[in-house]
Amino acid sequence: MDFSTALQIFFSGLNLGSIYTALGLGFFVVYSVTRVLNLAQGEFVMLGGMLTVSFYTMGIPLPASIALAVVITGLVGAGFYRFIIYPARNASGATKVFLTLGFSFIIEGVALRVWGWEFRILPAFLDTPSIQLWGATIFGQTPWVIGITLLMVIGLFLYFGRTIQGKALRACANEPLGARLMGISIERMALFSFILAAGLGAVVGALITPLTMTSYSMGLPLAAKGLLAAFVGGITRAEGVILGGFIYGMIEAITAGVIPGGYHNAIAPLILVVIFLSRRRGLLVTAGKG
Amino acid sequence: MTKKIVLGLVAAAFLIGGLVSCKKAESVASYKIGVAVAQTGSYAGLGSQFLEGMELMVDSINEAGGVNGIPLEVVIYDNKSEATETTLVVKKLIEVDQVHALIEGTVTALGMSIVPVANESGVPTVILSGTGLLDDQLGAWVFRPAGTEDNYIALSLEYMSQEMGISEYATLLENSGYGQGGKVYLPQRSPSYNLTIVEEQYFDPGATDLTTQLTNIKNSEAQLIFVWGSSPTASMAVKQARELGISLPIMATPPQVMPDALASFGEYYKMEPPLLASTTKMDIWEQLPDSDRYKALYRDFTQLFTESYDHSPSLWQMLGAQYITFIEDGLKRVGTTSTDVTEIRSQLRDALESTEKLQLLTSVYTMSPEDHFGQVEQTLVIVTFRDGEMVLAP
Repeated sequence: MDFSTALQIFFSGLNLGSIYTALGLGFFVVYSVTRVLNLAQGEFVMLGGMLTVSFYTMGIPLPASIALAVVITGLVGAGFYRFIIYPARNASGATKVFLTLGFSFIIEGVALRVWGWEFRILPAFLDTPSIQLWGATIFGQTPWVIGITLLMVIGLFLYFGRTIQGKALRACANEPLGARLMGISIERMALFSFILAAGLGAVVGALITPLTMTSYSMGLPLAAKGLLAAFVGGITRAEGVILGGFIYGMIEAITAGVIPGGYHNAIAPLILVVIFLSRRRGLLVTAGKG
Repeated sequence: MTKKIVLGLVAAAFLIGGLVSCKKAESVASYKIGVAVAQTGSYAGLGSQFLEGMELMVDSINEAGGVNGIPLEVVIYDNKSEATETTLVVKKLIEVDQVHALIEGTVTALGMSIVPVANESGVPTVILSGTGLLDDQLGAWVFRPAGTEDNYIALSLEYMSQEMGISEYATLLENSGYGQGGKVYLPQRSPSYNLTIVEEQYFDPGATDLTTQLTNIKNSEAQLIFVWGSSPTASMAVKQARELGISLPIMATPPQVMPDALASFGEYYKMEPPLLASTTKMDIWEQLPDSDRYKALYRDFTQLFTESYDHSPSLWQMLGAQYITFIEDGLKRVGTTSTDVTEIRSQLRDALESTEKLQLLTSVYTMSPEDHFGQVEQTLVIVTFRDGEMVLAP
């Protein structure tokens, strides 16, 4: 294999990795606060993408379209917590996971009614052209995905690590009783985490649409990949989500170029499952924590 | 919605009519056609278009008094783009709804999934598939009056070799039932056109990054890329190739020039060198010479279609319409002598198998016990893009 091909595989892995990392962040936020595995996270991404495209095609400038999409998706996230998760707050973890799955189907059904089955696509932000480097190509949108995902990660770090509210959020998951004794409203924090995850999801949706296209049914398949990646890296830490996302992206890029037809979609998850089985808490989580 | 209500009213009217006529005549109240089609899932686009064409034809037959004076009644279930779901709804159609005929109107994998149950239960069945690879597995009860990759392979390869002077090319094939046709036939047929495949790459429907595959192709000796697939990813391949700065000509398959793909990727199709694709004459019927009898056929169908829908028909809508016409033609020859479901099913099977020189939208069909595909005439063309429009390739 020559250098430019190897480099292209690397870029392709970066591209896919940034997508999966961006997807994983929403799982991370909800899981670290509520310990709920929110399978509807992919629907927030889909809503973000579809709403942005809809507003954008109405002639609203892209930043405003994204902002509108984030607000609406955040409201959906709030409603989801308030009317579905909150009433079941005392149910088992498995019940809550099924509720998120059910909600995911509801959103998908509504999206099919509203937008139809057609897939849609956005131009790269600011029409950024592809970048040629040593015979390989980076899509114009990829730096945007990496850059904005990085900003979101830094933001989350600062928020969870440096602010009182962020620390309170984490306390809710680690020491629910203690948090309550300290006067933290777990319900309000959980509500906030769902709004935050939905909003992040919507940004991600707008961000990846120029690369992945978007359609009413894209939520679950993408969420499944993002979740798998997040788990492998360690869903309780943002670094874990990033590591998992990029490992998944790289494996996918390598298999796409090297493995002959028919097995691409099977091999990357298989490798991840093997990694996961050997480190069940995720690569970046030490035993006893998380 | 209004269309469904109207359809419902028409069906109800016929039902009442049928109940009244029961007293005097020995015939069924309606011919029931069970349809399994993707209305959700990854093939929802194709399934929905198929339904448009199908419902249009059912309405127009019923408005004209039905077949042998008996209305057609369609029972439609969503197979969710999944083979297991398709088998499930088809069993329901056979056992609960007691349909006389079955249609699967989406893609090869879903259609093939009902072949065993259709044959075991003895229900005449029409499946939508664009591959001739599986024709020997259809059994006695299943028909496929559609197209075959053989048509566009011959056409495309001849164009590449004769008109473009290509000798070496690369393939980029979808991992799907549809892509399988390219995987098998392209290497088989290429030598007779003095063409060599120098690079063979694959992608999954739903994949988002084909740059690695495209780079492998870019680094080969290929003079052209043959992209073969029916998912949006197959269309996105053209976009990514152009973004990678690959300026090789690209040859595509009919699903890649359907309206939704054109809407999303048209600007990349028009980039130099413009995309080439084999497709049905329907897509450019206005440019056909008047001597071509398909011109009139498509003019009439487009007119009928646009009375009901706000867009022009394309391949899947044509197929939806022609599958109904195919069954209608069989039913005409069944007559009205029986009311027994099993008997009608069996009579209809025999009738479909003796279809002769039936002009449908995509071609002319003659069925026989040995041939349940039956296409007797090649009707595809190579198109390209000029001044932003899809045109017949020079």
